[in-house]
Amino acid sequence: MTQASRVKKLTDSVAHIEISPPRLQWMGHSRQWGTRVKKGEHGLRLGDLNVGIYGEIPQHWEDQSRRPRGAADLPGMPPLPYHLRSKHQIWADSAADLYEEAIQHRWIPATDIPWSELSALPDDVERAMCQVLTELMQAANAELESITYWQEQMSYGYHEVKQFLAVAALTCARHIDAFRKRCLANGGGLGLESRGRMNRAILESRGGWTEAVVYIYLLRGFYIQNQYRLLLAHAHNAAEREIFANCLADHSRHMSYALDHLKYAITQQDGQAAVIQTLLSLGESTLARDIREPVQRSALAVVFGGGVEGGRQEGMATWHTMVRQSIHDYLDACEWLGIKRNMIQRRLNALLPPDEQLVPPERG
Amino acid sequence: MNDAPDLELDTAWMERMGEWGTTAQPGKRGLTLEDIRIGRYGELPEESDNMSGRPRGAAERPEAFRIGGYTVRSKREIWLENATFLYEEALQRQWSSATDIPWETIEPLPDDLEEAECALCTFFNEVEFVAGDVPARWVANISPDFFEARNVLLAQVQDEARHMDVFRKRALANGGGLTRVTGATSGFVGSIDLSRDFTEMSSRMHVSGEGAVLSMFRMGELVGQNPAEKRMYRLCAQDEARHVAFGIMHLRYLHATAPDRHEEIEAYLDEAENLSLTGGTNPAGPQAETSEALAILLGGGKQHYDEGFRILLAIRKRQLKEYMQRVKSAGFGERFENGRSPVPGRIAALS
Amino acid sequence: MPAFPSVEWFNAVRERYNTDQTLHSGGGGPCEATAALCIGDSVYLLEFEGFECAEIREIARDDIDQADFFLDMPMPEWIDMINNIQENGAADLDHTLSTIDLELEDGLPRAPGDDQYRRDLFYRYNQNFQDFFDASAGIATTIGPVD
Repeated sequence: MTQASRVKKLTDSVAHIEISPPRLQWMGHSRQWGTRVKKGEHGLRLGDLNVGIYGEIPQHWEDQSRRPRGAADLPGMPPLPYHLRSKHQIWADSAADLYEEAIQHRWIPATDIPWSELSALPDDVERAMCQVLTELMQAANAELESITYWQEQMSYGYHEVKQFLAVAALTCARHIDAFRKRCLANGGGLGLESRGRMNRAILESRGGWTEAVVYIYLLRGFYIQNQYRLLLAHAHNAAEREIFANCLADHSRHMSYALDHLKYAITQQDGQAAVIQTLLSLGESTLARDIREPVQRSALAVVFGGGVEGGRQEGMATWHTMVRQSIHDYLDACEWLGIKRNMIQRRLNALLPPDEQLVPPERG
Repeated sequence: MNDAPDLELDTAWMERMGEWGTTAQPGKRGLTLEDIRIGRYGELPEESDNMSGRPRGAAERPEAFRIGGYTVRSKREIWLENATFLYEEALQRQWSSATDIPWETIEPLPDDLEEAECALCTFFNEVEFVAGDVPARWVANISPDFFEARNVLLAQVQDEARHMDVFRKRALANGGGLTRVTGATSGFVGSIDLSRDFTEMSSRMHVSGEGAVLSMFRMGELVGQNPAEKRMYRLCAQDEARHVAFGIMHLRYLHATAPDRHEEIEAYLDEAENLSLTGGTNPAGPQAETSEALAILLGGGKQHYDEGFRILLAIRKRQLKEYMQRVKSAGFGERFENGRSPVPGRIAALS
Repeated sequence: MPAFPSVEWFNAVRERYNTDQTLHSGGGGPCEATAALCIGDSVYLLEFEGFECAEIREIARDDIDQADFFLDMPMPEWIDMINNIQENGAADLDHTLSTIDLELEDGLPRAPGDDQYRRDLFYRYNQNFQDFFDASAGIATTIGPVD
């Protein structure tokens, strides 16, 4: 029995309509008939599809239509504003795997966080935690606004990156969601908004996606990552532990894409390393101002010190350690990327312990 | 000049925080965004003056940079009453195309069926590209004071990424491969690209565009030749129904709060109905190449093309009826009674 | 052995659906909807909340607007679907709710007041409803009197 005969009832009302014969002009256009990708141990993954012509990822994708990579084109398609059409502008080999990882590791703030484990904290600690999270919410907001600004400009020749970033943007929203819930569930509230220096630098980084990646991830990413690490270590209960563990994993995934992309961009594009070096020279000072900014710095110290009193010594010491680690992580990444940073900006340099400073302090 | 950081602990900010003493309680569905809409944190401005990107309810800082280039700052331009619900639902109902589709159930098909399925998958890739790109474009333009609605759009962008992923996987999993693009995304869907107003975009994309695509995904139950394909279409249809729900609820809110914009919305619907739903660029319509592929799949092969096409027409009639009911549900149903809309006529022609 | 259709039978299905996590397939996340099933002269109201079917009760036909949508099929078609699920462990591809929906000119779900938003809940949560009916495969069933 054909499907058509099974649904005869459905077609009674249109039985009188004469059907024109099909033209079938769309047939015979597959460029690689016989492609049979099989699922592996972890299912059928996006990267598994890159076989034959479908795995040919061109250096430049001139097509400005919405033609999926590997499909046959249709002449005469008007262009759409896909401005990022070169592989070096967006690509990372890991994007497909990171996309699948992000899908598999999804979590849900409403139900995956044990909210009932929250317990009342001393007022100064609660205030500090809420202040820290308010600032982190704005950092995540700048990240998602930057991603979505660039997303629609990315060509479909590199769909793996677009797909990864689609998940990354929602992940940022999920972080904001979780932080807001934490702030409003334990007797506190939101804090004072961010001064916004680094957020501005990120949002105004409109010369290209690679340049935005430099600011969001290479320059500020380690500072955010180390905050998550330390907040995880200083979590007051299972709910906070779960939040920061998830955020740390997510953010690390974003960092993986970013470093992979920057490495690719630098190796494939002459002069890219020098451009990044200049961007960093401009941005380091902005980052340093944000790091030194008294509100977030003090709030972090109070959390790390277990209160205002503990924050003055122990908390600030932990904050210094965290900042030092962030700067070293940043410098290590620059070295791995082949970007010279032996003369980092003096404000950032000054955040390192004296014996680790790369630039001697100026006499004043 | 001394660059060493000031080590003093500053606590002045502790007196400059947002409303204090908030204790939201988780309910049966966990701690949802609805649960934290309390006190000042639940108050949405009719017009947002938040240009610094601060979270709604955070304390303002006069010296903060005005870094947000937000163009959508009016509640009526973006809001819908069930935004928190749709966002939480979207997070809860995510699925994985790698592991939630029983790919092992796919078996070789006759060439005509395989090629038709692959043509459809290629077309859906094009369509999903639009439905992912366009909402993403709006996100950075919407004030974070309305972050609940913005979150639904971000969830949609991820949904669409997964849809293009699953259709690409299907095209490459059974011998066919991607076929030729239809070009439909520069016509029917192109008008979505052109929208300069959020509600205009939403009415075109969510209500008329995705409503039509929802009908196509539901056809997957008849189009699918194996459990993998049927499941793929079913899961995509669930997501698509959520996107359509966004559009209906937003239009409903706008209808209730902005009578001065009714005629403008009617004009968008005129255009959608004349250009996409009832015209040749409707992907389930009689002129489109995809309709030939659908007819082959619905009929069970080229030899049953006419039968398949009649099923398609019958389903298309339903597609139009459902569209009408959605527009009625949003508050704009009068157009179907007063002769303004061509949709009733199209339905009659198919009866 | 509960008879289909009866509140007892639906509660047995509900118990299995709520407790057997293997029945909640990918894409079948939490569901917030109230469905009515019109079977013969009886109307059963199924309330879905989160991951559970929270309550099932019989209601008068006049009270059907308590539901977001209702499914109304002749008794033989309900029995055909239930028998198919019993025989196959889950609805085969010709007996899913979606297939049945597509075989009917105006579709299977109806919404009070023709509200398409509420009717679309059938599509939004389709996998949950399918999972629910598929849960009946494990319930020893007798078919009740057929009108």
